[in-house]
Amino acid sequence: MGRFVIIGERIHCISPVIRKAMEEMDPVPILKRAKEQLDAGATYLDVNIGPAEKNGVELMKWAVQTIQSEFDNVPLCLDTANRKAIEAGISVYNRSKGKPIVNSADAGDRIENIDLAAANDAIVIALCSKAGVPSDNDERMMYCQEMLERGMEQGMDPTEDMWFDPLFLVIKGMQDKQMDVLEFIKQLSDMGFKSTGGLSNVSNMTPKEIRPILDSTTVAMAMYCGLTSAIVNPCDRRLIETIKSADIIKNNALYADSFLEI
Amino acid sequence: MAFKRTPQVFSASINEVVIGTGDKAVTLGGANTFPLYTFDGKAKNKVAIGVEIFDHGVDTSVPGIAEYYSGAEGIGAIAKKASQIPGADFVVLSLEGADPNGENKSVEECAAIAKEVAGAIDCPLVIEGCKNIEKDSQLFEKLAEVLAGKNVLFVSAREEDYKRVAAAAVMAYKQKISAESAVDINLAKQLNVLISQMGIQPQSYVMNVGSAAAGYGYEYVASTLDRVRSAALEQNDAMLQMPIITPVASEAWSVKEAIVSEEDVPEWGPREERGIAMEVSTAASVIAGGADAVILRHPKSVETIARLVAALM
Repeated sequence: MGRFVIIGERIHCISPVIRKAMEEMDPVPILKRAKEQLDAGATYLDVNIGPAEKNGVELMKWAVQTIQSEFDNVPLCLDTANRKAIEAGISVYNRSKGKPIVNSADAGDRIENIDLAAANDAIVIALCSKAGVPSDNDERMMYCQEMLERGMEQGMDPTEDMWFDPLFLVIKGMQDKQMDVLEFIKQLSDMGFKSTGGLSNVSNMTPKEIRPILDSTTVAMAMYCGLTSAIVNPCDRRLIETIKSADIIKNNALYADSFLEI
Repeated sequence: MAFKRTPQVFSASINEVVIGTGDKAVTLGGANTFPLYTFDGKAKNKVAIGVEIFDHGVDTSVPGIAEYYSGAEGIGAIAKKASQIPGADFVVLSLEGADPNGENKSVEECAAIAKEVAGAIDCPLVIEGCKNIEKDSQLFEKLAEVLAGKNVLFVSAREEDYKRVAAAAVMAYKQKISAESAVDINLAKQLNVLISQMGIQPQSYVMNVGSAAAGYGYEYVASTLDRVRSAALEQNDAMLQMPIITPVASEAWSVKEAIVSEEDVPEWGPREERGIAMEVSTAASVIAGGADAVILRHPKSVETIARLVAALM
């Protein structure tokens, strides 16, 4: 198995600094965040430009080129509801370090993002939900199958290019669903599929000092179940150390005394 | 459904490291497929072959070697002949005479020998130390200086002396070094990490992950090479993407099959043929495992392995 794929989530228009930078097309704050995340261990960087209904095409092209040209064609995850913007981003994307990821499709309104990924030889994050939170794993699996069929119809390689998102749920409020999510990851893994997701959902609304503990424990348990990637804040040191250690224990990376430093 | 063959070409690749200068410079590494998997993709650079000579010359107890080098007077002439063996890509000067427990040649004496060798050849030069940590550090420091501009590869930087060797050879004189570990994958990676943490760029070092003659614990070398190459390509482990250089001759010519005389064991046949067989079989094995360069001694072995490489890569 390859190493766990850490997708850095910090280039997100929800952050005021990034929002402003995107409005003004100012590369400095974006490149700074990119560098912090790469230095901390991110493999992919998520680029969330928001709905970007007006200038999405132009903005995504600019973001992709700005980040890739500065950081040796770092692979990116293109994250927006604006499909044209994703296509535009892919049109200028350099694949030498990895395919672009379309973030994301689901079994509902966003199912066409699977077609988009297939048409552009991209990876797609396939969220196993339709409208709202699936009630149980049977429902998750039903959505997974729907998206799988769609992807295969479009000629995608489902074990490589469809990364299923089990939909991580907040512990505070949905504590009784946590093991379901882990069990679903195990099912995906047993079927040979890759998986990813917004991990930090689990610790939403918990105290700041608790979040890294819950996130890193969740990722360790999920990696045991077969999770192959997560969208996280790579600057959370405890989390990254946990991921690196789990990669060693899973034999996804070769041990060396300095493994936490690389 | 028809069988659809998918070439296994990785997005990761082995680093490229250039040794020597000018037309005869050699690029090691560059692969993005498993070794010899030409059905998956063409190798970017062929496996390079080095010919080993010593500060005292060559091993004249082997008739074929003595015959090949006959008439070559002095280390410069020997080096030139070594470089002219068909299939040879670079010359390796082993300074075993510098060993304090042996001849204990001085650093200055070795520097003069190395300069003469470098002056006599136009192909890349690789310098092997005497395996004494303290002496090798001194030797490499001096030789890096006197061979400045030649883009020489120093074999080896070990756990005990990598800092000194890397600082002197790479940082001060832009030469190349080889990180040596003895059939220990974790140490192989760790040493690369430590060297990279000094700020040494990937284009400046290769690695020697250990060697053993076929039949002498070679299975450990095989599994080490396999694991290293799989980590480098399949897991995209940047700390194991260094090209691999494997000193074959020193192992192959020191096992009993290559040492015992024909008088002692007549049923084994001529010693020289056994030595060549050991050298060729070991070299072919490490190439199959992923070595990007091998160091050989006998002209016949060099020719044989060169033919193998030409046919398979």
